Amino acid sequence: MIAVDHLTKRYGARTAVDDLAFEVGRGEIVGFLGPNGAGKSTTLRMITGYLAPSSGRVRVDGIDVHDEPEKARARFGYLPEGMPLYPEMRVSEYLAYRAALKGVSAKAVKHEVDRCLDAAGVSVAKPRIIAQLSKGTRQRVGIADALLADPPLLILDEPTSGLDPNQLRHVRELVKSFAGKKTVFLSTHILPEVEASCERVIIVRDGKKVAEGTMDELRSRAVGEQHLILDGRGERGAFERALAGVAGVRKTTVESSTEGSTRLSLSLDPGDATVDAVFAAVVSSGLSLREMRREESTLEELFAELTTTDPGAETTEGADA
Amino acid sequence: MRSTLVIARREIFSFFASPVAYVVLVVWLLWSGFGFALFCENYASNLSMGGSDNPLTMFFGNTILFFLPTLAMAPALTMRLFAEETRSGSVEALLTAPVSDVSIVVGKYLAAMVFWCALWVPTVLYVWLTSRYGDVDLGTVGSSYVGIFCIGLYYMAIGLFMSIVAPNQIIAFVMTFLVLGLLFVMGIASFVLPPETRDVVSAFSIWSHMEDFSQGVVDTRYVTYDLSLAFFALFASVRALANRRLA
Repeated sequence: MIAVDHLTKRYGARTAVDDLAFEVGRGEIVGFLGPNGAGKSTTLRMITGYLAPSSGRVRVDGIDVHDEPEKARARFGYLPEGMPLYPEMRVSEYLAYRAALKGVSAKAVKHEVDRCLDAAGVSVAKPRIIAQLSKGTRQRVGIADALLADPPLLILDEPTSGLDPNQLRHVRELVKSFAGKKTVFLSTHILPEVEASCERVIIVRDGKKVAEGTMDELRSRAVGEQHLILDGRGERGAFERALAGVAGVRKTTVESSTEGSTRLSLSLDPGDATVDAVFAAVVSSGLSLREMRREESTLEELFAELTTTDPGAETTEGADA
Repeated sequence: MRSTLVIARREIFSFFASPVAYVVLVVWLLWSGFGFALFCENYASNLSMGGSDNPLTMFFGNTILFFLPTLAMAPALTMRLFAEETRSGSVEALLTAPVSDVSIVVGKYLAAMVFWCALWVPTVLYVWLTSRYGDVDLGTVGSSYVGIFCIGLYYMAIGLFMSIVAPNQIIAFVMTFLVLGLLFVMGIASFVLPPETRDVVSAFSIWSHMEDFSQGVVDTRYVTYDLSLAFFALFASVRALANRRLA
């Protein structure tokens, strides 16, 4: 649905997007992940034809964005970053204008506006003036705008920025509901965002692609180790003895130990087998467990590793979000 | 074609929802009303004046002071067109909609021409007032409005171009004002230049332009000049818009 080929954008001496190439297949929901300033918005703007690339080409549904711009633009709905809207208009007026601009026939405009407002979950905002909307509502009006004229592809730039947790969940569910029906390409600097709604992710840093794959592929790429938290009844020494012989346990750290109760943090080889082995070892030693939890930090670590220029430098926003 | 009208309609809506529209209209109404009252007063106390001259001809063509405010009115009408969208960022949604750059430019231009015409609607009242107390040659009045419309064609086109290239409304206003002012000054230089160059600069002159039109003379040279300038500015606007994408 989107084919990006050797895409480069230079601003003077600075290269914002550097020889980027990827494809997004029909019906896929793909996340475009990277820290702020990685060139995500610039890439999206080149895909939508708002900016012309310094070199390379973009095709949307097989149509070159720069050779046949209007035809290509009719294939997608785009939510620009921050969703700037005309503050003086009412939501219904704005969307009716956008629908007409996107070629919805005069008779169908009203119905189309209602349909998209409903899909974006902001029907209540219909009579309100845009200047008075909260950021979350504006954002969802922007999503309603992108849905107008029912395009096969949605390009969303940071669709969940500025939303409260309820709105966030609603937008994530909305995006997920497009699975199989529409192609969605969304950018974000927040990893959980991608984990929540995307099937595949493309990670960029400094305008270059650093990783690409399904969530599972990336998880398995996130080599190294997994972390396990154990909390149980038993003396510290008993736990240490029980775990000493288990294959795959790299490091055992006692976090706290009060009378008859111990909390440990373990570093293990990746995979389920080592977790099973730990459980079996604890139980067979006659100790009991109150908590055994895997820390799902592997993707975060991979993301941090991929998107931080020097290890030890300030962590990227995505990593601590 | 439809998208052009959709854009023009939204632009007109936004213009009349903004305070700029009313400030410009009120200031203009006060100024033109004051001017017209002065001319009438002048005629009332000066019975010897007559012939083809009447307050309307004087209003539309015979005083340079009358046209000075339009140099500031025109940029005020056009400064928002693009610069406001650039500032707010809404231009991104506009330029990624499935419409051509030509539709966008022409749509905004149509809206600007509606603003320009709206400026002159109240002056119809002066025609009506004059007709109540004397004879009004409707042909002369018609040609006066044709002249004003033609001036608007290039005033608005230049303003639109500046609004596209300027990063904000103030710069759009100042640049439009400078260009229109320059054209105006070139025109009135015909008063001070020697006869052989006078003809050349008078072709640019709004002063002699309106002097002719207000007396019922529709000079196609002026119309050609107005249209060419408007067309050139619109062409440059479309190019400037395409150029923005390269930035």
